[in-house]
Amino acid sequence: MLRFVFRRMASALLVMFSLSVLVFLIFFATPGADPVARIAGKNANQQTLREVRKDFGLDRPMPVQYGLMMKRLFVSRDLISTATRDEVVPQVVEAAPITFSLVLGAAILWVIFAIALGLIAAVHRGRTLDAVVMIVGLIGISMPVFWVGEVVNMFTQSRLHDTFLFSWVPPLGYVPLTESPIGWFKALLMPWLTLSILYIGLYARVLRSALVESQEEDYVRTARAKGLTERRVLFRHSLRTSLITFVSLFGLDFGALVGGGALLVEVVFNLHGLGWLTYQALQQFDLPVIMATVVYAAFFVVIVNAAVDLVYALLDPRVRHA
Amino acid sequence: MSEAAASAPALVGALPSGASPWKLARRRLLRNRLALFMLGVFVAIVLLSLAAPLYAHDVAHTDPFRSHLDGTTIVNGKSVPVMPQSTGGLGIGATPIGPTWDLHHYFLGADNQGRDVAARLLYGGRNSLLIGFFAALITCLAGTLIGVVAGFFGGITDGVISRVLEIVWAFPVYLFAICLSVILVNQDFVFGPVRIGSGSIALPIMIIGIVYIPYVARPVRGEVLSLRRREFVEAAIGLGASRTRLLRKDILPNVATTVIVLFPLVMAIAMLTEAALSFLSIGVQPPDASWGTIIQDGKDLIRTRPAVALAPGLAIALTVLALNVLGDGIRDALDPRAKVRGIR
Amino acid sequence: MHRFTRTVLVLVVVTAIAAALGASGRAKTGRVTTVSDHRGGTLKLLAKSAAGTLDPMINYTLAYWQLYQASYDGLLAFKKAGGNEAFTVVPDIAQSVPTPTNGGKKWVFKIRKGIKFSNGKTVKPTDVAASYRRIFKVKSPTSGTFYAGIVGAKACLAHPAGCTLKGGVIANDKAGTVTINLVAPDPEFKYRVSVPHASILPANAPSKDSGSKPIPGTGAYYFASYNPNKALVMKRNPYFKQWSAAAQPDGYVDEITESFGLTDEAEVTEIENGQADWMLEQPPSDRLNEIGTKYASQVHISPLTAFWYVPMNTNLPPFNNLKARQALSYAVDRNATIKIFGGTNLATPSCQVLPPGFPGHKDYCPYTKNPGAHWSAPDLAKAKALVKASGTARQKVTVVSSDDAVNKAVAVYLQSVLNQLGYKAKVKPISANISFTYPQNTKNKVQINVQQWYQDYPTASDFLYVLFGCESFHPGSDSSINMAGFCNKKINAKMHQALKLAVTNEQRANTMWSQIDRMVTDQAPMVTLFNPKHVDFVSKRVGNFTFSKEFYWLVAKSWVQ
Repeated sequence: MLRFVFRRMASALLVMFSLSVLVFLIFFATPGADPVARIAGKNANQQTLREVRKDFGLDRPMPVQYGLMMKRLFVSRDLISTATRDEVVPQVVEAAPITFSLVLGAAILWVIFAIALGLIAAVHRGRTLDAVVMIVGLIGISMPVFWVGEVVNMFTQSRLHDTFLFSWVPPLGYVPLTESPIGWFKALLMPWLTLSILYIGLYARVLRSALVESQEEDYVRTARAKGLTERRVLFRHSLRTSLITFVSLFGLDFGALVGGGALLVEVVFNLHGLGWLTYQALQQFDLPVIMATVVYAAFFVVIVNAAVDLVYALLDPRVRHA
Repeated sequence: MSEAAASAPALVGALPSGASPWKLARRRLLRNRLALFMLGVFVAIVLLSLAAPLYAHDVAHTDPFRSHLDGTTIVNGKSVPVMPQSTGGLGIGATPIGPTWDLHHYFLGADNQGRDVAARLLYGGRNSLLIGFFAALITCLAGTLIGVVAGFFGGITDGVISRVLEIVWAFPVYLFAICLSVILVNQDFVFGPVRIGSGSIALPIMIIGIVYIPYVARPVRGEVLSLRRREFVEAAIGLGASRTRLLRKDILPNVATTVIVLFPLVMAIAMLTEAALSFLSIGVQPPDASWGTIIQDGKDLIRTRPAVALAPGLAIALTVLALNVLGDGIRDALDPRAKVRGIR
Repeated sequence: MHRFTRTVLVLVVVTAIAAALGASGRAKTGRVTTVSDHRGGTLKLLAKSAAGTLDPMINYTLAYWQLYQASYDGLLAFKKAGGNEAFTVVPDIAQSVPTPTNGGKKWVFKIRKGIKFSNGKTVKPTDVAASYRRIFKVKSPTSGTFYAGIVGAKACLAHPAGCTLKGGVIANDKAGTVTINLVAPDPEFKYRVSVPHASILPANAPSKDSGSKPIPGTGAYYFASYNPNKALVMKRNPYFKQWSAAAQPDGYVDEITESFGLTDEAEVTEIENGQADWMLEQPPSDRLNEIGTKYASQVHISPLTAFWYVPMNTNLPPFNNLKARQALSYAVDRNATIKIFGGTNLATPSCQVLPPGFPGHKDYCPYTKNPGAHWSAPDLAKAKALVKASGTARQKVTVVSSDDAVNKAVAVYLQSVLNQLGYKAKVKPISANISFTYPQNTKNKVQINVQQWYQDYPTASDFLYVLFGCESFHPGSDSSINMAGFCNKKINAKMHQALKLAVTNEQRANTMWSQIDRMVTDQAPMVTLFNPKHVDFVSKRVGNFTFSKEFYWLVAKSWVQ
């Protein structure tokens, strides 16, 4: 087990390093991404530009710039954003809990609903309820999340804001849990629902077909022969092994979201998490912030995938994790 | 023949003996009415998209790729501007007309360049279906291959592949797309005789196709890890079966069902990701349309003209639904064990 | 401005009536509002994102220049008033606007006594001198343009860290004066002294970009905190005592906050709900009708001295051909672009460089169906003929623009026009953050892009010379505002003539600028689209809305209760 943890930590570092180099290269291959003119200000004269370039160390060779940036990000932790002139690490630290609150809440919602809907659909396979559940789920995948968010806002903040339905919805933004748990909940409810709509349909669908398929497995037939009722069979045996695909996908999605993948939801609902930070940084070609968020996201992708690999063994005892 | 055999589930006796498994599969599929219906729906969507030029020229008499901000059209016999300026209050803002439900004149209304949304929807289907289909194809084929290799061979192979998958999954696609679009503003990628500009749909197909590989590879890998230890596999190995035979007969068919389910879902995700990439100027460029770009156009009209974003969204939903049900039907038809319940 | 006058009149009338009624004794009329009642409250502003560094000498965005009006002062200032009065320069930290001596090269400013920074320290001439040196030390973007004419500036530009401005800015604490010596007379100097880059800061302000750490100022408000990912907070300067209502009026509200992050749609909704007071961004086009009808009393539309234009690269095909450029100008339907912007009540079509109301402006439009003073309709036939004559048909053109909704829509429209004319056009929207610098660099080979230009200060040269002068063209640099790469020797010589003439005879110089305007327009290095108006959407409780043409809404002059 210790070996497993150690190896995965080493992998995390490798992945983070590779991505940081990739990001750096992409950035510098882009004309117009050079931040000097933007830092210096509108219509600065050539001399001013030269001075600013020197000030920010942007006239050094690329490997040196890369090394400096990594040192400032990890060792001295005083890396400065080129857009806001603020320190990057505190920005990331401040944003992380917001994203985490959003993603965790949405994940709980979508897992619960997906399992419920997937089970319903599998049990009533081939009948109307199955079709209805599947159609509703598929519509969820087909509408882009920024559209869903805008429509939700249109109703909860604007059109129906004064009605009893939505007058409790607070203005868009995040309320820290430490400040007011109820406020935190109220502010996050709509974003949770919006983010989970996309995934519920997909996961319900995946679960349903995995359940339906595993029902034909020999061991299920054995369970049935042993006299277990249909429900029991479904729950205990099919569910566990069907969850492999479900868990694989969940690991990927959760890992990506925690690192800032929910940027459109965060922007639409004014939650200043890592996704929002990434969005602002992309708009402003702010390399230091982009670098920090990518490396942070990479770390989580690796960690979550490692956790998933451990869960495989739990789910299907026959699997000995690689 | 004993009574038991005579009253056994109709299934086995219903099929003529000696027919090839493919013929059997096809017959099972053809008896699945729902799947056939959905196949018809999908074919209809494809045909409508192909008929886009016909609709635009001969039915709607419009050029959906030219801006008609000052154009006019006929509604209820009267000539109205396609994008009338507001007259109420301070008289600010100009809103495109909404759906007229008249197939010859702006059936679904206009977008904010004054173009016919219905015509663009049909043309958009071509791009979306192409990009969605081929991106999903790349993802599923490559993902299956990679997932099977990783799960089957394990060890260092799995380790290396898994790390590469993690790098791909954590890769900042939006940053890449933004930078790529800036690089490609005035130049194209040239690979020998192949020229790929930022407007080429090969770009989104490849980018989306590659970026979602982990989404198929990881589940497949997980399944293979589970299958590897199953009784029938161990039995087969005990009987001296070769690796390829194992893969072909035992592992791949099981994995295939997962991938068949994932394919339409990945296609939906691909069509939506294409919208984001087009917004960043990779792939479908103005004035061309895809369902994704029309949704983007509709994003600025959600409050006033919701039809502009809804129509392509529903088109995506319908396509994905059709493919899902069809996929289920194909899987049912191919899976010999799914017959215990009989055909309904 | 009309609204301001109307509000004052209403107040006067109401006060009069109430006074009359009150004088009658047992009047049971409602509470009379007097000016002092409006003091207090917090003004909540909204912006999509922070606007960079808070350092007033470096920040060059309208967003923060608006806020600097209430927090920093220069030796002189633009009058804090509405309408055209906003172009007048009034004395601020200085007691009066000096008349330069020594052939226009010597400016002596007498500093007012008793003005305090928000840290309690009194402003002295040494602070002024230190501030001018600081402009160079922090490498202000205008150090090489606006302030390069100060004696000693050349040395400072070469070695910013050790800037002394010897002989250029001389402080005399005992006499209470600051003397600024210029290398050559500069009729625009009084304007340059009035912009935030020349704010007077404490002498011990850091010698580098202060970033997000506020620097104390002399204004009615000071920056209490700044988190670029969250909000900016300004509070009343406890040491502020109004010395000139025209230069730095005492504010009504106790606190001003600007929150970052909401999308423009969400901003409109918050103001409608009364959860915020004003948004920096223009309302998105799909909300214009809504606010123009249901919230009309909260919408303020103000004309701007600005224009939307489309510079064409005169050094790259096809627009290195005059006929091709003129063809596009004939073909563009300015009304269509105005519709995209929000309609004829928000913009007026234009063909030339100088906006109406600007010194030197004379209506002129050759690129229309009936050429004359005003634009009426596009002339597609003439355009097509010109394209044919130019021989540039079927060439590839890429239209670059910012990726926000309006700019992108204008670019898509231009693509449609170019395609109609027979070109093969593509659209390339790029991030709003680089859409200003990217097209400037000739290395990027931008053929045509959509731009806006807002005045820095009210002189014709700010449009004509800055945008189309040879000296504004720097190949290979991200800072080359002459995006068209336009360099016409004859016109440039005339521009220099006009600049020189302005020192002695402003009237005749402006006449010359009118001619230059016509000459540049005839050469069509750009297609001018329209002159926009500015839309300010405020909440119901905001009163006394005053719009300065120089710095837009004067935040400190409004009240909320």
